[in-house]
Amino acid sequence: MTGIERRVCLLAGVAMLQASAAFAQSADPPRPRFELGIGALWIGRQPLGTKAATETTGAGGSTALFNTSSDLASAAGIDGRIGVRVTRSVVAEAEASYLKPQLRITISGDVEGAAAVTATETVQQVTIGGGVLWYLTNRAWTRRFAPFVMAGGGYLRQLHDQATLVETGRFYQFGGGATYLLASSRHFHTKGIGARVDVRALIRSKGVAFDGGAKTSPAVGVSAFVRF
Amino acid sequence: MKRPLSVIVVFALVLGQSSPALAYLKFGVSVRGQQVTLKWSQTPVRYFVSNTGVPGVSATDFQSAMGRAFATWQAVPTASISYQFAGVTSANPSRDDGASVLGFQNRPELDRVLASTSFLVDSATGALVESDIFFNSAFAWSVAAAGEPNRFDLESIALHEIGHFSGLGHSALGETELQSGGGRRVLSAEAVMFPIAFASGSIASRTLKADDIAGISDLYPDGDFNTSAGSVSGRVTRDGQPIFGAHVVAFNVATGLLVGGFALNAQGQFSIGGLSPGLHVLRVEPIDDAEVESFFDSSRTVDIDFRVTFLDRVVVVPKGGDSGEVALKVVRK
Repeated sequence: MTGIERRVCLLAGVAMLQASAAFAQSADPPRPRFELGIGALWIGRQPLGTKAATETTGAGGSTALFNTSSDLASAAGIDGRIGVRVTRSVVAEAEASYLKPQLRITISGDVEGAAAVTATETVQQVTIGGGVLWYLTNRAWTRRFAPFVMAGGGYLRQLHDQATLVETGRFYQFGGGATYLLASSRHFHTKGIGARVDVRALIRSKGVAFDGGAKTSPAVGVSAFVRF
Repeated sequence: MKRPLSVIVVFALVLGQSSPALAYLKFGVSVRGQQVTLKWSQTPVRYFVSNTGVPGVSATDFQSAMGRAFATWQAVPTASISYQFAGVTSANPSRDDGASVLGFQNRPELDRVLASTSFLVDSATGALVESDIFFNSAFAWSVAAAGEPNRFDLESIALHEIGHFSGLGHSALGETELQSGGGRRVLSAEAVMFPIAFASGSIASRTLKADDIAGISDLYPDGDFNTSAGSVSGRVTRDGQPIFGAHVVAFNVATGLLVGGFALNAQGQFSIGGLSPGLHVLRVEPIDDAEVESFFDSSRTVDIDFRVTFLDRVVVVPKGGDSGEVALKVVRK
């Protein structure tokens, strides 16, 4: 677990302790409009495809000198978002995330018998995007437990080797999750704090996808939020 | 010089040795102790073709095949070199008369040499004055669009020799196998400038490969080639000691293009230019698919006692820049 994840869990834990007292005091929960969240985001492995290094044969065909198989390893990073309640059950969100996944290229099948190797490189990945959450319950922002479905997308930027090479692309995501309102109060200008867990299918196109095609990987977000 | 089968060849030694510059092998000449890269200083480069044909190839066929091969090199968008047909001549390709001539010559004693390129260089300045190409009429030739069995494709061999004519040395991007009767058979190649020809009948070498394009573009860069392409550089060592002559291949994982270069100095340093920006895998191998003399001056000791090795990290080639020093460590066979 990274330092960032540790801090997120600690925040959630402290909030949990406060939750029962806060709810006990609030008979008429406030109606927040904005939500600010920060947490951890884990993205699963993203296959990037295979590519053979080929040479031309005398007949005009090709033969492999060696083969490569690439992927972007799973990684955890930070995720922040701002949400605006549009209706009782719909929230519009802006979101940004930062991760440092490892790019792995496994080289094998060398024609001269070279030992297989996995060449690696750390990539800095930044996403900026937006989306919509649709809560499956009425007055979801004032309920303790509120499941939702979500969809969104945005801009993907991947920097290699100390930003000497930048690749850009797009991402799309859809999934679902739930929020758990830990405390609802008017203290410190807030109208509630809580935790959120979501599971997404993350589709990245271009970027380090060598064939330019869209690649799908799972993602899990765990965050704490404050509502205003 | 292009050979149908292996033979000890000293073509690169005729005028000089490999130039320790970017990538591939470029011809160089020594002028007053300074190494000068051999290249044409003015374009278009004018050439004459011989008025002599051989069985299966008329003089007109010959002229057309040469025109197609020159046009292929000239069509490289990132290179500025151009050529101009100056006319038909009865002059012999081997005559030092200031005119570059391409033609057939009957050289049966060169039983494994299909064609050869020679140069006339101003020894005071290193300027390239003339370059001639002869095609050995002791072999059977073809200009058929689809090639002909048991005949060597004239356009393919011309493409290779015009690479030399333009200043390029040999590429090591190819695989061969030893034949029981001696010599080598080419299994595959990814450069027209590979020193050994495919078997007769093949027309696979009528198309330039990434390695050829990088080489000619490096010699004669056009437009924004130097700012749009990138390079990778580094050092090859074994037990901390530099390796001279190691062949390093850069493979672009996105485009699938292969470009090779050599460790060209006593420090084992290499630099491969003309690469498309992006992520690359590096492979280093000993020169064991052709005679070492096809690449280097025989006075140089080329170390081939090491295993084929891949770099264990992905190399990022930036646009218009260099990857930074890459350390390729190899072990003995």
